[in-house]
Amino acid sequence: MDIQLGLAGKDFVILLADNQITNSILTIKHDEDKIYKLSEHVVMSVSGEPGDSSNFSEYILGNTVLYNIRNQHELSVDSCAKFTRKELANALRSRSPYQVNYLIGGYNTISQKPALYRIDYLASIAKVEFAAHGYASYFCYSIFDRMKKPDLTQDEALDILAACVNELTRRLVINHSSYTLKLVDSNGVRVINGEELLKRTSAK
Amino acid sequence: MSYNGTAIVAMTGKNCVAIAADKRLGQQFLTVDMDFQKIFPITKKTYVGLPGLATDVQTLYKSNMYRLNEQRDIEPKAFAHMVSSTLYEKRFGPYYIEPIVAGLDKNNNPYICGMDLLGCMDVAHDFIVAGSADENLKGMCENLWEADLEPEDLFETISQALLNAVDRDALSGWGGVVHIITPNEVITRHLKARMD
Amino acid sequence: MSLDKVLKYTSASKTNPYAFDDDENFLKRDVTDNISHFDFKFAPVLKPAEFAKSHIDVKSQKDSLIKLAHGTTTLAFKFKNGVIVATDSRATSGNVIASQTVKKVIEINPYLLGTMAGGAADCSYWERELGRRCRLHELANKERISVAAASKLLTNMVYSYKGMGLSMGTMISGWDKKGPGLYYVDSEGQRIKGNLFSVGSGSTFAYGVLDTSYRYDMETDEAIELGRRAIYHATHRDAMSGGYVRLYHIKKEGWEFIGLEDVEDLYYKYNNQE
Repeated sequence: MDIQLGLAGKDFVILLADNQITNSILTIKHDEDKIYKLSEHVVMSVSGEPGDSSNFSEYILGNTVLYNIRNQHELSVDSCAKFTRKELANALRSRSPYQVNYLIGGYNTISQKPALYRIDYLASIAKVEFAAHGYASYFCYSIFDRMKKPDLTQDEALDILAACVNELTRRLVINHSSYTLKLVDSNGVRVINGEELLKRTSAK
Repeated sequence: MSYNGTAIVAMTGKNCVAIAADKRLGQQFLTVDMDFQKIFPITKKTYVGLPGLATDVQTLYKSNMYRLNEQRDIEPKAFAHMVSSTLYEKRFGPYYIEPIVAGLDKNNNPYICGMDLLGCMDVAHDFIVAGSADENLKGMCENLWEADLEPEDLFETISQALLNAVDRDALSGWGGVVHIITPNEVITRHLKARMD
Repeated sequence: MSLDKVLKYTSASKTNPYAFDDDENFLKRDVTDNISHFDFKFAPVLKPAEFAKSHIDVKSQKDSLIKLAHGTTTLAFKFKNGVIVATDSRATSGNVIASQTVKKVIEINPYLLGTMAGGAADCSYWERELGRRCRLHELANKERISVAAASKLLTNMVYSYKGMGLSMGTMISGWDKKGPGLYYVDSEGQRIKGNLFSVGSGSTFAYGVLDTSYRYDMETDEAIELGRRAIYHATHRDAMSGGYVRLYHIKKEGWEFIGLEDVEDLYYKYNNQE
């Protein structure tokens, strides 16, 4: 029941993830940050099998950071996504595949374009304007389709995410009390206060 | 084969071949992407269509590209055998893909070839179909295909076959792409389709 | 084992056919006892309910002998000027699109509409039967049946077949003395009153659009457009929904058919205007 949303705008990408870790009927943690910062311009949100998600994500994180140090050069969002896919695809055919879903978003400083990739646990990758994983996707894709427009501004993007969160609160059986939001643009990664998003929803 | 949804078809014409695919990437009944690449260029005159599980589409395409390091263009027939071998290598943990190779050989004779997921080849003189809409495509092709079509007529035929087939398949469609391979050029056109 | 056996209780009442399903008495029993007029034949086996369940694929998942058409988006909502009812028109069997021109709105009478989701035959049969009963009610009482009563009739009918494999998710909507009425009724025997419902595989997508812009005090044009958009977006994302958007508006004077619009035309209309 993890919630993961992503949206690419005119010159930025926003990822949203819930903060809950659950085990069966129990919530173990309410303030987990499920969005990893891979580099100055790349973030990655994760959901899936509990052990797999943290272990595999840390592996990806470690390797991208290592690459950046070794080469004194930041791995682009596109390369990060393709690297993640490759590792996930190799694992898929191994004895123990990782059951994890990813949204990888970032700002490519060379092409000066934002990019959002959706990778599912089978390791199929798609470059998209907006994305969701899990049950949230059944509610949010139609909202994205309805509210999307070319050259989306940050404010409009937050409105869309607010509408999504509003809908999930209303219709999804499990309720999430808080969310993490991370925005990437040419200036790097910025955390947006989840409370502000919730304010937007109540203002509507 | 029907987890992500696909429709791919290849047809021969007079000194030309055509290969066409839909654009949907789905997760069962949920449509995730409407611009998903399923046909890949191998040489100027050989294309490969990869219908099946999306992750294997991407894996298989990459693994074949790495093998093409010969600094010369591979013949479609040789390429088809290479894909076939690649598939059989995974005999006991197969790629869920039923590839279609379409191209013109060095004498500009059309070559199309389909495969099952283990690499059993099926070379045809008329058409090859695969994907979740394969039965629909087969019906369309049986009716529409004729021998020695010129490129433009072949384009019309394959487009009609694809569009009408995906209109009866819930898991494929959402746009289409057609490549017509002729001795001098490859004509690529994108098809508008029903978006439901 | 049925409850009355556990309790060593021999039931005189025969209201619940399911209570007999592991009992050969079931065969001897006449279902028409309570429900006058019906005379459904049951399979000549020990447990007809089990038999029906194993041969009819209600969830469209297993390879059964009889497959039911599944996958739908239907919606209905109340607003200040009445009720909007909208549906798609696709019928699928596996991943084959069996039809793009299904009529999923059943015109029970000039004041009542029912929608179809789940088993097409179940919906059309029971809602036709509901129409008959509503007419009888009118003749007996010299006034039209209320939406509440009509939906209750339907629930009672299908509830008596609970567990036998009926598959139906429907919205009964109409206009009566109290104004616009809307009920959700399904084959489990649930009956829920509400302002806004959507049923079917595409319902989550429809809810997404509906919830973001729904207001009770919408104008009629706005409400119709909302219904149209909700179905359109559901057909776009849900593989099992598609075809045409069928729209109705229920007013004081009864329902009005608004139109039938091809989703393909809507897609290119909406996307060129943006």
